[in-house]
Amino acid sequence: MEASFEPKIIALVCNWCTYTAADLAGTSRLKYPANVRLVRLMCTGMIDVKYVIKALLDGADGVFIGGCHPGDCHYINGNLKARKRIQGVGSILESFGFEPQRLALRWIGASEGPEFAHHMTEFVNTIMQLGPNPSKARMIL
Amino acid sequence: MNKEIPRIGVYVCHCGMNIAPRVDVEQVAEFASRLDHVVVARDYKFMCSNPGQELIVEDIKAHNLNRVVVASCSPRMHEATFRKACRKAGLSPYNFQMANIREQASWVTDDSRLATAKAKDLVAAAVGRVAFHRPLQTRRVEVNKSVLVIGGGIAGIQAAISAADAGYKVYLVEREPSIGGHMAKFDKTFPTLDCAACIMTPKMVIAGQHENIELLTYSEVVGLEGFVGNYKARILKKPRYVDEDKCTGCGTCMEKCPTRRVPSGFEEGLAFRPAIYSPFPQAVPKTPVIDAEHCRLLAKNKRCGVCAKFCEADAIDFDQKPQYLDLTVGAVIVATGFAAFDPSSMVQYGYGIYPEVYTSLQFERLNNATGPTAGQIVMKNGQVPRKVAIIHCVGSRDRNHLPYCSRVCCMYSLKFAHLVREKTGAEVWSFYIDMRSPGKLYEEFYNRVQAEGVHAVRGKVAMVTDIVDDPGRGSLTVVAENTLTGRNLRLPVDMVILSVGLQPAEGAGEVARMAGISADGDGWFTELHAKLAPVNTPTAGIFLAGCCQGPKDIPDTVAQAMAAAGQATALLAAGTVETRAEISSIDPDICSGCKSCLQVCPYNAIYFDEGRQVAVVNDALCQGCGSCSATCPSSAAAVAQFNDSQVMAEIDAILA
Amino acid sequence: METFLKNPKGAHEAVRDLLKGLLENKLADAVLVAARTPYSQLPMPMLIADGQHLEKAVPLLPVAPFNAARQAEALLRQDAGRKLALVLRPCEIRALVELVKLNQCSLDQALVIGLECYGRMENHDFLDKYASGEGEPAASRIDEQLLCTACRTCTRCVPETADLTLATFAGGLEKGIWLQAKTEAGEQVCKDLELGHKDMDPGHRQAVEELKAGRGQADRELVEAMARAMASMEDFQKIIADCINCYNCRRACPVCYCKTCVFVTDVFQHPPEMIFRRAEKRGAVKLPTDTTMYHLTRLAHISHACVGCGHCTSVCPAGIPVADFFKTVARKTQELFDYIPGRDLDEPIPLLVFDENEK
Repeated sequence: MEASFEPKIIALVCNWCTYTAADLAGTSRLKYPANVRLVRLMCTGMIDVKYVIKALLDGADGVFIGGCHPGDCHYINGNLKARKRIQGVGSILESFGFEPQRLALRWIGASEGPEFAHHMTEFVNTIMQLGPNPSKARMIL
Repeated sequence: MNKEIPRIGVYVCHCGMNIAPRVDVEQVAEFASRLDHVVVARDYKFMCSNPGQELIVEDIKAHNLNRVVVASCSPRMHEATFRKACRKAGLSPYNFQMANIREQASWVTDDSRLATAKAKDLVAAAVGRVAFHRPLQTRRVEVNKSVLVIGGGIAGIQAAISAADAGYKVYLVEREPSIGGHMAKFDKTFPTLDCAACIMTPKMVIAGQHENIELLTYSEVVGLEGFVGNYKARILKKPRYVDEDKCTGCGTCMEKCPTRRVPSGFEEGLAFRPAIYSPFPQAVPKTPVIDAEHCRLLAKNKRCGVCAKFCEADAIDFDQKPQYLDLTVGAVIVATGFAAFDPSSMVQYGYGIYPEVYTSLQFERLNNATGPTAGQIVMKNGQVPRKVAIIHCVGSRDRNHLPYCSRVCCMYSLKFAHLVREKTGAEVWSFYIDMRSPGKLYEEFYNRVQAEGVHAVRGKVAMVTDIVDDPGRGSLTVVAENTLTGRNLRLPVDMVILSVGLQPAEGAGEVARMAGISADGDGWFTELHAKLAPVNTPTAGIFLAGCCQGPKDIPDTVAQAMAAAGQATALLAAGTVETRAEISSIDPDICSGCKSCLQVCPYNAIYFDEGRQVAVVNDALCQGCGSCSATCPSSAAAVAQFNDSQVMAEIDAILA
Repeated sequence: METFLKNPKGAHEAVRDLLKGLLENKLADAVLVAARTPYSQLPMPMLIADGQHLEKAVPLLPVAPFNAARQAEALLRQDAGRKLALVLRPCEIRALVELVKLNQCSLDQALVIGLECYGRMENHDFLDKYASGEGEPAASRIDEQLLCTACRTCTRCVPETADLTLATFAGGLEKGIWLQAKTEAGEQVCKDLELGHKDMDPGHRQAVEELKAGRGQADRELVEAMARAMASMEDFQKIIADCINCYNCRRACPVCYCKTCVFVTDVFQHPPEMIFRRAEKRGAVKLPTDTTMYHLTRLAHISHACVGCGHCTSVCPAGIPVADFFKTVARKTQELFDYIPGRDLDEPIPLLVFDENEK
């Protein structure tokens, strides 16, 4: 089981920085694990806590949130709002046994293609070590 | 719930050989055909080609499709293309979604099986979400027919002239007392060695006299908000203490000012200027400024006012206060330029320690006919140097300082070598890492300078020291390794020139923040697309010109400035812009009136309707960031194309 | 200032005297206070405009079918041109403060009279025990074990932001009740009613400390036990297994202020194929869907503002200890954001303020 574990990661990323960095990683042909599924949003500031909760309850093995560096937000400070919200929901999810490492928030600027690939690799490795989402495939959720 | 049953068409692009061999596109299309509401699913060689787009148009008509998904490249690349195709077939362009299976799958995955699985998930996500898409309404709003240019170097001047020539009002803002920027300091320009002043001064004069250009020198942009076509800029006009309307530019005040020994910034500290000054003789405007920090009257409260006494035009006004000017413009061109790297931190080169170590900008002044030595390349003691070392890549290509190549230093160093040889006959030793001369006539210039007998040593200089073996042969020793011969070198010289790199101008970050544009890790502003949109920024209506986007030489800067002006005037010429559709709205039936959204909105785009006790979005101000929607617990606030149903359907489809 | 409101018939009668005084002296146009209807022993929040009806007021009884903050909010939503005096429990005041922060109402026309609260019993326990009205505990302390879990573990039983406090814990309830003025408005009322100052019973402070200490111990035990009981999603499923998505808990919650809960909007009215797809993926899916999603989202939305009143548990038809897991999670959320709901009107709601230097 452990050996064939292919985690599924939902990455909620902002259009201006991290999504652009992902594009750059692509055009630069940088390889990173194929486990990540990007969901493009305009800003991390629009990430509703429901998206994070839903992703984990629906069986995502990890949720990665990528936004602009503080000070670089295309919308001035959406990333700072995201940081606080994610902190809050992360603390709640931890109470129910979701390891805090399953929810990551990183700043990846538009020109940071290599950093994007690096963070994806690192996060997938972390999730591989944690193993599958404990709530996976529960019919009652 | 959606009353209209979705009828979705899915198109999987091979992108030639970019997607197809790695991702099994046929399998993905077959998978897509089995997804809910998918009526037709195809794969095709190039979806963005005309026949590819026609495929969509025909299917929409033939199969009565009301939603379209294209799985191909990044939406940043071709979303507009496919939206247009939808519109052509009479379908709302917003009933469209892209799945990025190139940048996110085929290009970043070695394993074909995993790439295909990922592509399937991304297609399922797009299909799942597009079912929740709705046609969106946009409006057309008037574009203000004026342009703000930030920065009055050659880039800003050229952009301003180009836009003004097209018939638009231009505000050219420069923080220094005169426009001109770095180029005004140069004497000769590579590779043609034409006289910088001869080509620069006329440009400055044109800008200064153009009926469509309003020069705002000694001014700074302190606020910028709004949106494409309607930006509101706040300009701080610093007090000049000289009335621009009255001053005739005669210069008597500068002659009479008793404060004489203020190091001149324009002369890179090689000369002094009075407290009331115009940075250089060809300055535009001619009106001097009083440097309040050094003025006896303003700074030291001493009884002086000599300048006022001698001013026949009665232009001196010690009571001037900072003024704020509010402008409305349709487009903004950012041309904030660069700053030369300060080599003081590289103590091994002795800058600031040994008087005969110069930066490249200092050398430009030394060589300039209007400079401190009237163009004589001489040492501080007035003697002509016999041997000169030029050190390339100072700061540049150095992980500890500027990791990138500053692009212009090799060429200007060759120019220096030539000038030293020509004017002094001195021996010139150039220390380089790699000699970079890509550009029209650049390699030829390199060959010419080599032929002039310049010694080029491949190797980084370890240090410059005043420990000399023989004081008669030069006051400094350059210690280096010639990496081609593997020999160490101790070279006695009279003068050292540091070819410093370029870095973003001071305050560039502040401008980026105001304009909502981003910068890369080195601080250079990021263009919308490296190849296809080099002067556009992610913020519509804001354009880039010159070195603020990255180091470049004069020809490239001028070309880019013209391009930026072209983009800006194209926008103005269109007259109207479509408002963005992806903005927030608040459902008044659901809103509880808690005002939380008002607190988090970064644009003050939400107001409170006291009568109905609900929050309302001002769609002219909303940028669609979604701060409100993520804050609203009942999801009364929602951003079109990014509402809860759409995003959660996307997540659901990936995981289900 | 402090004073002892004397009445030989006891504390309730003394409170009624005070409220009557407010009405007669036009210091309030009406009073919101827990009072009995003629039809049940269970008191309800009652808006009393005529002092005669005050004889039914029983704010000190250890029972409360509502967190009356929501009733208070309904009366204070907009300026009705009337001054309202409210007799509220500490948790009700805290909730009201949170609602004011959320622009749901204003305290401009309110005189808040808080009471030091021994706690409440569950409605059915109270009715079972005192159906006839005999042996009713009036105002004094009852056995902690009779109280609902939320009250048994409540350490914030002293009002924090009231204008006036009925200092139940100072004792002497058979002869009247202690009153403390806590704000300028409260002081003014005492002056207008010509209540003379009397130094507070020296035993008061100790009584408060003792009560809080005992409750604190119970609280810690509860939270620790609950944290263990819900330490995994699997465990939590056992806790909420019988939930029928009736949403009573959010209706009873005094800080769940949304006019329309997102869980009854279009967002959660999934198209059937989405539900089928889920069943196909997992083999089976429980209906209605999104039960766990609902509880977790509610925690994410308002655990920072949870005042710990326990009414969510009291109204749950499935007997789910909603308040217990809320309290357990809220403890962490409130610590994380260094936020104490209802403590201070000027304390900003944590998710609405942010700056670059936060960690």
